[in-house]
Amino acid sequence: MRILLEKLLINYPFFFAIILFVMGAFTVLTRSNLFKKLIGINIMEGGIFLFFVAAGNIKGGAVPILVDNPGVTYINPLTSALMLTGIVVSVSVTAFALALIVRIYKIYGTTDARRIAEMRKEVKERCQQS
Amino acid sequence: MKIRNLIFLLIILLAIFTMLIAVAELPPYGSPDNPVHNMVTERYINKALEETGVNNIVTAIVLDYRAYDTLFETIVLFTAAIAVYVTLKKAKGSEGGE
Repeated sequence: MRILLEKLLINYPFFFAIILFVMGAFTVLTRSNLFKKLIGINIMEGGIFLFFVAAGNIKGGAVPILVDNPGVTYINPLTSALMLTGIVVSVSVTAFALALIVRIYKIYGTTDARRIAEMRKEVKERCQQS
Repeated sequence: MKIRNLIFLLIILLAIFTMLIAVAELPPYGSPDNPVHNMVTERYINKALEETGVNNIVTAIVLDYRAYDTLFETIVLFTAAIAVYVTLKKAKGSEGGE
């Protein structure tokens, strides 16, 4: 247990990334409002981005923009470049999900996932009776 | 509803524990000998200026070494924009029919 804690203290950015990810996952699971679920997904993405960028960091390293000083150690540019791709995908997903939520609101009149499920159930039962 | 949230909390706690163990096994943060900093990164840092003529290495990777990645990324963005447009447009047209 103590070794675990010491290693966590060394790897603290990864620890915060886990906390962010879990916060997002808990939001997605427990909130029934679709907007809040979407915000939870975005928080999870933030955790993943933090994890990747922290994995590419070097303590005391410089930003990967080339300068004439030969003694500089640069941090890993690859993880930052990959996360740029990730941010674009996350923006696309968010935009499409928001459009879907707007459409759902126009049809059902609510953005609450549980109430939508109840309404669908009622309609199904009424269809079976008639 | 409360019981459901408690079950979710248990699942989340289990996930936290698993991920904590995984993080504790990772190589130490910020050390220059981590396996992340392998020959690929070295090549990017040493040859970027010579091969692409860009000072900013992230720009060199995104727009030169991995240009196809960026190209298809813009296609993803474009598809998302079209999807949003189609979704909202249909909602306007079929509103009277619902």
